[in-house]
Amino acid sequence: MARSKPHRLRNLLVVLAVAIVALTAMGAIWIVYLDRVVTRDFQGRLWSVPARVYAEPLDLYAGAPVTADDLEEELRRLHYRSGDPTAGPGVYRRHGGDFDLHARRVRFVDEIREPELVSIRAGSDSIIGLRHADGTELPVFRLDPLLVGNVFPVHGEDRIVLSPGDVPPLLRLGVKAVEDRRFDEHHGVDPYGILRALWADLRAGRVIQGGSTLTQQLVKNYFLSDEQTIGRKATEAVMALRLEAHFSKDDILVAYLNEVYLGQDGARAIHGFGLGSEYFFAKPLAELDVGELALLIGLVKGPSYYDPRKHADRARARRNVVLQELADARLIDAAAAKRAAAEPLGLRPPGGSYVPAYLDLVRRHLKRDYAEADLAAAGLAVYTTLNPRAQAAAEHSLTRHLTRLDAASRVRDAHLEGAVIVADPNSGDVVAVVGGRAVGAEGFNRALDARRPIGSLVKPAVYLAALETGRYNAATMLDDAPITLKLSDGSTWAPQNYTHEIYGRVPMARALAESMNLATVRLGLDVGLPRVADTLVSLGLETRPTLNPSLLLGTVEMTPLEVVQVYTTLANGGFRARLRAVQAVLDEQGRPLKSFKVQVEAAAPPAAVYQLDRMLTLVTARGTGRGASARLPPGTIVAGKTGTSSDTRDSWFAGFTGTYLAVVWVGYDDNRPTGLTGAAGALPVWADAIASVKSASFQPVPPELVEDRWIGFGDGLETTAACSADAVAVAVPAGISLPGKPGCASSPTPSLTDKIKAWFKNTIH
Amino acid sequence: MVQEHHSLRGLAAGLTAALLLSACSLLAPHPSTSQPPTPQTSSPQPQGSSPQPSQSPSPSPPAPHAPPPARENHLSAATRSLVAQARTQVAHGDLPAASSTLDRALRIEPNNPLLWIELGRLRLAESDAHQAEGCGRKALALASGDRGTQAQAGRLLADALRAQGRNQEARDVESQPFMNSSP
Repeated sequence: MARSKPHRLRNLLVVLAVAIVALTAMGAIWIVYLDRVVTRDFQGRLWSVPARVYAEPLDLYAGAPVTADDLEEELRRLHYRSGDPTAGPGVYRRHGGDFDLHARRVRFVDEIREPELVSIRAGSDSIIGLRHADGTELPVFRLDPLLVGNVFPVHGEDRIVLSPGDVPPLLRLGVKAVEDRRFDEHHGVDPYGILRALWADLRAGRVIQGGSTLTQQLVKNYFLSDEQTIGRKATEAVMALRLEAHFSKDDILVAYLNEVYLGQDGARAIHGFGLGSEYFFAKPLAELDVGELALLIGLVKGPSYYDPRKHADRARARRNVVLQELADARLIDAAAAKRAAAEPLGLRPPGGSYVPAYLDLVRRHLKRDYAEADLAAAGLAVYTTLNPRAQAAAEHSLTRHLTRLDAASRVRDAHLEGAVIVADPNSGDVVAVVGGRAVGAEGFNRALDARRPIGSLVKPAVYLAALETGRYNAATMLDDAPITLKLSDGSTWAPQNYTHEIYGRVPMARALAESMNLATVRLGLDVGLPRVADTLVSLGLETRPTLNPSLLLGTVEMTPLEVVQVYTTLANGGFRARLRAVQAVLDEQGRPLKSFKVQVEAAAPPAAVYQLDRMLTLVTARGTGRGASARLPPGTIVAGKTGTSSDTRDSWFAGFTGTYLAVVWVGYDDNRPTGLTGAAGALPVWADAIASVKSASFQPVPPELVEDRWIGFGDGLETTAACSADAVAVAVPAGISLPGKPGCASSPTPSLTDKIKAWFKNTIH
Repeated sequence: MVQEHHSLRGLAAGLTAALLLSACSLLAPHPSTSQPPTPQTSSPQPQGSSPQPSQSPSPSPPAPHAPPPARENHLSAATRSLVAQARTQVAHGDLPAASSTLDRALRIEPNNPLLWIELGRLRLAESDAHQAEGCGRKALALASGDRGTQAQAGRLLADALRAQGRNQEARDVESQPFMNSSP
């Protein structure tokens, strides 16, 4: 008994010791675990800097189709401000058509441009000339590439990540002064701060101060959920301490500045001061003034409570508190704080250059053409072929017309949708992508993913296949007469014209221009389905379509992007240019990862394509696409084709000028009939988009061995412009004989000298 | 009668222009440097509804085998300076930069065969004979009516074919009539 008491005590002590050791060991394991999480993930986050994505910079040169107003709009888009350009980069001054511009330092694909003063003279329809600051002539000058987004090629977040060198000193000091005064002294957790906060909370009787350090806030954002428990607080504190043990104060501060949540743009969270600066002020962080910086710093405390777009008064008050704190910390002088406090908030108008549908294509082309390991590198710059002016024009045209068409429709339980892609057919550069009417939102990208029957958009391939045989030309008479086919599955197929009329004998040029189904089916069967399929493939269709006669009327399904690829070859004289949205990707040091080249390949005989293209200009001049001309500048020549799928489920237009190719699709997501032909639905969208981007007429260089002749649009007989009211110019193989219109055709053709002689005779008498 | 009168006057004007152009090309064998940027699109279209290619002075066919209307391609001031810049970049061994510079030039004048020839030469320097061939064919199509440029494009195409071991096709190109023009 006497021995047992100390014995029991000893046992108790042993148990206690074991428990303490076990707990310590568990605690140690827990800390080691958190330590590893912190180092691994923070390291990972630090290096997963997203790629910055830039639009194609605008080249200015004498004759460039850019007016003075266009130029000013472009400068504003690039966040240049009006003022005294000698004061520093990022400023321009305009007097009428004369601009003095202090261009910023920017990195282009091929070089870095240092800040530079230039003078630009713009006229009412184009640039007149450019000069250096010293007055010497400047043949060509590039504006800055517009930053349009940031992508993690893998998970697709949007962020503008600052490197330590990008952080303005006032931001660095200001954030510390306002959010964590002892940041430079503490080791991740600030006991004084906690005590001070506790004291403040006790006095107030509620939680008014958090006492969290910047490091703790960062840990919370990076690794933890939002719940407020003791356990989470402990985890946060341990992680903050471990983070501080492994990384420098500067790394942590910069990571914080990149991570902090500052606001909400619809579904898009605005994280980081870089993106915040773009989102609220449309300026790079380096160009913010004291008041603007103070507003951003103030937002950290409550991004939705102080949201300057929703609660301007709260935001102004908060900004002014921050200005006072900055002055108290002697980071700015009191007079400057007072001046800034009197300024308006200076927010940019909402909306703008967020182009998710285009970035979607960029992401896919990055995946298509680059090694994933290369894309994981930090600080990549992606130079795209996006043309922000064409993008804005396409977005505006689509949303405006869909709203109009919806209002005119009897359908009330669904909205029309649509897609637009604009490309430069010569290079294959995709310059604009609109994936639906909600242009600023992520979501189903119809331009890339809506696979629909193309209807009569297929017809140019049928006619091209015919021209390639050499047995047909634009004046060849086709028979637009009923036809019934027995299909391989035993069923019969009896196509009809859209108008349900029968046109009889028509010249090929008219059959295409007026999109006659019967004439086309007969032509296609005569040429042969395999030839038509071959032509589609050589134009750029990736999968060979099934050889069914209905192929001739476009039951083949394609996405708008695939249509663009096929029509690019038609717009490019038979040369297939591989579509691309990415020109080049540079690494952090400015070295190209892999440079994209313009890829051109001969795909179809240029002479046949030229003859077809000239027929396609008749579609818009005389045929189903003639509604386009009223929306285009007078005299503009465009080539194109309407397309309507069965029961008007899909309304298409694909067409090109000398500058751009655009494809438009309009329809319902649930595939119900729209009641719209290609001409009624897609064509106005196309024409208005093309009209608002400066675009040259489609005037391809005529190949040798092809010549122009006048034929009657109705009867196909050779005539003269003077002789027949319906004479149209068509391109045909040089020297072929065409049946002439009695009394009109000048056959046999007098030689040029005979004509000159006749002319002299006429004028002399 | 009045109508015909007009068309003949247009014809004569076109012919005079053509004669002047060919005279220019005789007097100036090397491309002059102060020409409008896009000569191939210089003639206005008569009517939107009846497009007519700019090259033929009349809708009537010329006599068979008559030489095509003379044209000469030039670079504008802007594209000329970009070509000079691209050549400097090539000289410094920076072929990717030269490629982007020529892309810029092509965006300004996409139908200028001289730029496609320049790009094709760059592709050859990059050992991409396949792409060089595409550029050569494109240049040849755009050079229609310009013997000097056709010859340059033909030489590029022949070089690109030879670089792929397609010697017979290269010889076929070189036996084309336009290859006799001096550069």
